Amino acid sequence: MSDKSTAQQRQIWLIFLFLGVIMLNFPFLQIFNHINTFCGIPVLVLYLLVGWPISILVIYIFAHTIKDDSNSSEKEDD
Amino acid sequence: MTFQHMSITTLLYILVLFIVAFAAAHRRKRGKSIVSHPHIYSLTLAIYCTSWTYYGSVGRAATSGLDFLTIYLGPTLICFTWWFLLRKIILISKKQNIVSIADFISSRYGKSTYLGMIVTIFAVFGIAPYIALQLKAFSDTFNLISGWSSTNNFAYHCFIPQLPICVDTALIFASFLALFCILFAAMRLDSTEHHEGLMAVIALESIIKLIAFVIVGLFVTYAMFDGFGDIFTKLLTNYPEKKDLLLITSEDNNGMRWFTMTFMSMMAVMFLPRQFHVMVIENTNHNHVRTAMWAFPAYLFLLNLFVLPIAIGGILTFNGDTSLADYYVLSLPLSANQEALAVLVFIGGFSAAAGMVMLEAIASATMILNNLVMPVILRFNLKMTDISGLLLNIKRLAIVVIIFLGYGYYRALGETEALVNIGLISFMAATQFAPALLGGIYWRRATHRGAAIGLILGFILWFYTLIIPTFIQAGWLSTTLLSDGPFGITWLKPTALFYLDNLDIWSHSLFWTIFFNLGSFLTISILTKQSAEEETQAERFVEVSTWNKTEKKRTRLSKAPTILEFMDLMTKFIGEKEANAAIAQYLGDREIDEKGSLSEYEIPNLKRFTEKTLAASVGAAAARIIIENYLSARGSKMEDVFDIFGTVSLSRDASREQLTVLYEAANTVSSGADLDSIFDSILELLYRQFRFDLCVIRFYDEHQNKLIVRNFHGLDADFLSRADREINEDTCIGKSYISNKVILANDSDCTDKPVSMAIINREGIKSFAHAPITLEGQPIGVLSSYSHYSKGIYTDEFIELYKNLAAQIGIAWRNATQTNKLIAASEQERELRIAESIQLGLLPDTMPKIAGLDIAGICIPAKQVGGDYFDFIAQPPDLDIVIADVSGHNIGAALLMAEARTFIQARARLLVSPTVIIDALNRFLYDDLSKAELFITLFYLKYNHNKKLLTYGNAGHNYPLIYRHDTNTFEELDAEGLILGIEKEVTFEERHSQLNSGDILVLYTDGIVEAANNRDELFGIEQLKNAIMENISQDAQTIIDNTMTTARMFQGRRHFNDDVTMVVIKIEQ
Repeated sequence: MSDKSTAQQRQIWLIFLFLGVIMLNFPFLQIFNHINTFCGIPVLVLYLLVGWPISILVIYIFAHTIKDDSNSSEKEDD
Repeated sequence: MTFQHMSITTLLYILVLFIVAFAAAHRRKRGKSIVSHPHIYSLTLAIYCTSWTYYGSVGRAATSGLDFLTIYLGPTLICFTWWFLLRKIILISKKQNIVSIADFISSRYGKSTYLGMIVTIFAVFGIAPYIALQLKAFSDTFNLISGWSSTNNFAYHCFIPQLPICVDTALIFASFLALFCILFAAMRLDSTEHHEGLMAVIALESIIKLIAFVIVGLFVTYAMFDGFGDIFTKLLTNYPEKKDLLLITSEDNNGMRWFTMTFMSMMAVMFLPRQFHVMVIENTNHNHVRTAMWAFPAYLFLLNLFVLPIAIGGILTFNGDTSLADYYVLSLPLSANQEALAVLVFIGGFSAAAGMVMLEAIASATMILNNLVMPVILRFNLKMTDISGLLLNIKRLAIVVIIFLGYGYYRALGETEALVNIGLISFMAATQFAPALLGGIYWRRATHRGAAIGLILGFILWFYTLIIPTFIQAGWLSTTLLSDGPFGITWLKPTALFYLDNLDIWSHSLFWTIFFNLGSFLTISILTKQSAEEETQAERFVEVSTWNKTEKKRTRLSKAPTILEFMDLMTKFIGEKEANAAIAQYLGDREIDEKGSLSEYEIPNLKRFTEKTLAASVGAAAARIIIENYLSARGSKMEDVFDIFGTVSLSRDASREQLTVLYEAANTVSSGADLDSIFDSILELLYRQFRFDLCVIRFYDEHQNKLIVRNFHGLDADFLSRADREINEDTCIGKSYISNKVILANDSDCTDKPVSMAIINREGIKSFAHAPITLEGQPIGVLSSYSHYSKGIYTDEFIELYKNLAAQIGIAWRNATQTNKLIAASEQERELRIAESIQLGLLPDTMPKIAGLDIAGICIPAKQVGGDYFDFIAQPPDLDIVIADVSGHNIGAALLMAEARTFIQARARLLVSPTVIIDALNRFLYDDLSKAELFITLFYLKYNHNKKLLTYGNAGHNYPLIYRHDTNTFEELDAEGLILGIEKEVTFEERHSQLNSGDILVLYTDGIVEAANNRDELFGIEQLKNAIMENISQDAQTIIDNTMTTARMFQGRRHFNDDVTMVVIKIEQ
């Protein structure tokens, strides 16, 4: 994999990290911070319990776009 | 369930674990590893969820609401970075054979031992509470499910009266864990620290944890209640005041706390020692990270899905009583009479606790062994042939110590704190490693001092802001500390440092610890410098993905060690079997020549390999110390040869050839052969490797003021190979010498030097190179090479090499010169010793005994060999006395004295009178004295005791003194006569004197009268006379002694410059 695409990937990852950090913290949480329920489940709880798997899904998709790293097939030279 | 049922169930489960572990280890040995699978890897990461997760999350959810989620959201977030961050860490660790987090940090910062020690100590400190937590959880749940109240722990002795009364559940649990650990992780010093069996067990436990928890969750949600919605609705209707649990209230700065806990979890999931161990050390293939990135968060999600329902279900079921909220997971099924389910839950919790304790104990024991114990052993240089047995036992001991340290903490402090807080304290401790570690792998400039100070400050603050409040809560310290600060200093309050008082305890702690930790890390790294080793390591760590492509700089080695020697070294530390295996693996694809040794190219590689192999067992810092000590102890005679391998930067293609040249040259120089052989070898090397036509060494000769040919190799052309060069700029060689520069030229460049041109053309030389041979920067000669290739072959690299060779020649020359000087000095030393012993042998052993005469004599040789001598020839009633002084201070002089003595001894009895004897002696010795350019002064007297008549003759010697008893005055015995050795024909005057009773005769040499004090005043005859005068009533020996003392006191020091000789004869009354 070329260096350029690795660098690009790295940047995309970082963006997602930031997004994740922000979305799982204040003030985003504040948006859902009231007692209304949705199908009997409080919105905040719902937000967290849905947002979380979504993040995992994002990681999963990303993981499948990465090819196997060539480093692993090299024999360890000393 | 009764106690007996529970015990049996627990034991059965442990048995299952043993079997699984054993099976996995066995399969690994057969080559098929079940652990090396990405999903298994992900499951082992789930060791992050301990009984703290299992029980504590529910407790926290029931008491403070949603913020338990942060502990699992954090790891999910950091998984975004894993493909780059974690993989980088894994790659580095594999390449450097890292075995623990302390090893990683210490290795990055120049393999510094003390940094490893710091990290180890902090890690162990930070972990004891966490282990205590697991023991507590197990103990409480076991008691709960066995039907005891959790406070009644000491009932074992009811069943087995022999047990001491303090044995409780936790203790038994701790003992089992220690045993299991030792059996599966400390049976041998594994060179890679992979523990197949243990990993299999942990994966299994993760599965059981998950299954158990999910089943309980499903049960509670759908069997005890009617689904998610139902639970929440019931809560809101029945306990409206508890609705805050479902929110994150904005008071109390919960937002800040949310963030803090998320951040801490992000760090802890990577830097807790057990996490680092499973993530990095036990990782078998870094591509597994790709799966773990999503599988691990998915696991966390599934596990936590039912926490909230269970918590709320518990509140609902137990009517709002949250005092034992931690154990809702267990008490709910029990309350619904689902005993099997409860047992399953218990087993799940047990799995969680056991896995964590074992792994943490092993990881910490490894760190203790490698970073605390090994440096001590190395410092004290314990000489043992095979210490691998000792190391193994120390590791086992460390495991036991750590587990029981946790047990101690549990007994001392465990009751006072809710489970959850203890875990968070450990998380904060793990966060302190983040700056040093993350900074280390991304910032080249980070230095070990920065890391060390950052760590230390971070931990001090951690202790102060988190542990001290724990102590206060336990009642060990007074609460005024909390409210007023130590000694009333309010700005040092543990939870409100520097007046920052509106944060919760976690955010407060995080802020200050990271501020000081990171701040000092950055500042001090910028302010301090890195050592060379540190720079290399920094390069390796930060640039790991491109590491394969940079050239490997080889550092100099002493005389090549052989494979066997490296093997011996390894055996010492990791045992014979491991060493053999490692070497076999290494040798697989290397070149070996027929003698079973490696080609020189491989030696640095072998050194690195050995260092890495040792590092796997004893840590990087210790391995480096061992290898360096080993190599220097073998006698590096190459201290003078500067780091030629370092200064010459070579591209890979040319490297082999040129390295060989350098290596062989350096070897030759240090071989200690004679200078010409060394020069010949170097010239031949140059000639052969680069296919020169001629190589010449010229040295500057002071006498002729020219550059004289010392050695040459190649074609023999008079002018080029043998002729000297003047010190001027007419020739290129001269120019090179004068300007102290390398000169390269083609034949076409020399048009201004016709003589050189003509010869060069005739011999077919196309180009040449001259390099000054320097010693300490100054030229002392010129190294010349001529080639029939044109100048193009002289690359920059070659010029560097050439200069280095010239410098090596200079060093060889200097070594030889110094050696010669040393040899000359020592020969001179020896010569003096011989002369001294000859001289002392000439002196008489005993004084002659003649009635009526008191005779004493002394000769004190000076430091430099002098040449005094005196002798007696007693033919009663005659006594002959001779005293002499020779002018030289060497063997020649001593031999001449011996000659004189022999002559006198032989002839004196035949020759009648002193002057005849002196004359004969003069003739006899004249030739030898002239040839040696030496002189002898001599005084010869004959004394006839019957008549008391002195007859004497003198050859230039100091006039002896006679003290006349009657007149109390001194007389001198003067007689004319030339020093021996000046002329052959000399007339010696013979005189007589009469002695009376009470007279004292004193013969002496100029040593005593020429003794000088520090004002350069001489002792002189007058003082000699005075000294004798003072002692005339004493016997002869005493006269001598006291006179010597007086002279010494006059001198002001003990030693005389010249030999001091005195002979005193007292005529008795």
